[in-house]
Amino acid sequence: MLRREINELLTQTGPGTPMGELFRQYWFPACLAEELPEDGAPPVRLKLLGERMVAFRDSYGRYGLIDEFCAHRGASLWFGRNEDGGLRCPYHGWKYDTTGQCTEVPSEADNSSFAENVKLTAYPLVKIGDILWTYMGDPAKQPPLPEYEFALVPPEQTYTSKRWQQSNWLQAFEGGIDSSHVTFLHSGGLKSDPLFKGAKGNQYNLNDTKPFFEVADSDGGLFVGARRNAEEGQYYWRITPWVMPNFTMVPPRGDHPIHGHFWVPIDDENCWAYSFDYHPVRALTPEERQAMIDGHGVHSKNIPGTYRPVANMDNDYLMNREKQKSGEWYSGVEGIAIQDSSLQESMGPIVDRTKERLVPADSGIIKARQKLRKAALALRDHGTTPPGVDPKHHHVRSAAVVLPQAEAFLDAAREDVTVRPGMPVSSV
Amino acid sequence: MVVDTSLLSSCAKAASAAEARYRIDRPIAPSRAGRVVALDAGAADVLARTAQLEWANARFYVCESAGEDAESVLLRGIDGGPATLADELASASVVVMVATSDAGADCAYALGKACWERGVQTAGLVLGDGTDEGTAAAAAVAALRPHARVLLPKADESDVVELLSALRV
Repeated sequence: MLRREINELLTQTGPGTPMGELFRQYWFPACLAEELPEDGAPPVRLKLLGERMVAFRDSYGRYGLIDEFCAHRGASLWFGRNEDGGLRCPYHGWKYDTTGQCTEVPSEADNSSFAENVKLTAYPLVKIGDILWTYMGDPAKQPPLPEYEFALVPPEQTYTSKRWQQSNWLQAFEGGIDSSHVTFLHSGGLKSDPLFKGAKGNQYNLNDTKPFFEVADSDGGLFVGARRNAEEGQYYWRITPWVMPNFTMVPPRGDHPIHGHFWVPIDDENCWAYSFDYHPVRALTPEERQAMIDGHGVHSKNIPGTYRPVANMDNDYLMNREKQKSGEWYSGVEGIAIQDSSLQESMGPIVDRTKERLVPADSGIIKARQKLRKAALALRDHGTTPPGVDPKHHHVRSAAVVLPQAEAFLDAAREDVTVRPGMPVSSV
Repeated sequence: MVVDTSLLSSCAKAASAAEARYRIDRPIAPSRAGRVVALDAGAADVLARTAQLEWANARFYVCESAGEDAESVLLRGIDGGPATLADELASASVVVMVATSDAGADCAYALGKACWERGVQTAGLVLGDGTDEGTAAAAAVAALRPHARVLLPKADESDVVELLSALRV
């Protein structure tokens, strides 16, 4: 349960809000690199943290993220002509470069300096891995670039997709650190999904539906450990890292690629779920990559040409009661990603957390909310840089390990949850 | 696949902001009868302060002595009144244990065992840096680990309040 004002604090991310300002301390995904596939590609409309912008890649290959609307009459620059080092509004020909600087106002005299005084709000846009990252905060406080492992491994070892989720970012994110739902909602996927099935750890998951949890602070956020019974005298631990404010990873299964998410607010009622898979020591196989493209694992099958899932709230997520009854799809919805989004969207655009009844197993969520609230208020009141800004905090991995019962999971698995370039993940 | 059109009037569209105003809106009763137990003197100080806040159903105790069974585990209310664990668990739905050292390891075991037998949910908070080997807090983590369904090492006083608030005790 949260008080109404705390729920509002955590879910509102527009300009000037405490959480909005918190998000503006970090680099986070603005869009996929595939959305701007070549120099001079058509611009892309984006809304992030409640601000409307266009992303474009100019004819010289420079990336820009600028205010969507022309400073002249407010027309959308999505209609713009991407030509000769800038984006030109087709209404009256005003042109902007990737920094938002107006470079031409055709109605002015040739020797006019008027354009120099026109500049749109612009944010940096940087390609790292499959993602174009932005930082929407104070330029004077721009932190070093992100160093998440999935974005730094060679391209053949990683794959990222995204989908539009019609809910506030917080309820989507909370699913990312909620290990206890896997045994129920995704039980079918553990047996059949090509990117999940076959791991020994799945059996521990299915055999023990009442895990114990341990929630431990990390430098950048939290580690949530879920332990289940394994062989005599041993526990099977699934360790989920969270790096503030919106990066989560899923503990791995066997030699399958390891996966995770970024949860990026579009506005207060919509978010992007970025879903990645990577393998630290080998290329993804053609079969694995195809499975990801086909929407298996944490990815989704999207309507062609869009990032909206084929199964969405307008078609009741293609609910199949027969598969629900047989248990093949525990909720009757196909696919791990849509199983999550269907239930999270069903809560409403912004779930009323004054009405919820949490249980001790939700302690990871309780702790994460507390850390977000404290960080947002410390930033607002004291200017304190929040956890997760420092790229060192990004060097985490999820892990799935079997440990002697007497071992503390973070003591025993400290190396397993730390990025070790060239070393495989710890997985069962 | 054929979509069941009967769902169209009751589908997830009802989750829109406009539809949310039709959700049944009744006050929620406290859902948990919580018993909050300090396992050592340091934890007792924290609970003495926490108990001053407004709670719906929570009762706060210090574990005085462990025993073989719930009847012989002696508790003392933060306000000084004696109680036995067996009596308290009869009406409890969650027990939250708070520790700062391993001094209450025997109590943790007794509480954990009694709760397990009665199907009462448990949570444990260890105040201090419970990951630094050799510290009292680390010993407390080790003592609590087998007996708390959920364990929060490296917690602080605000975590106690936060957890109890979230659980609506």
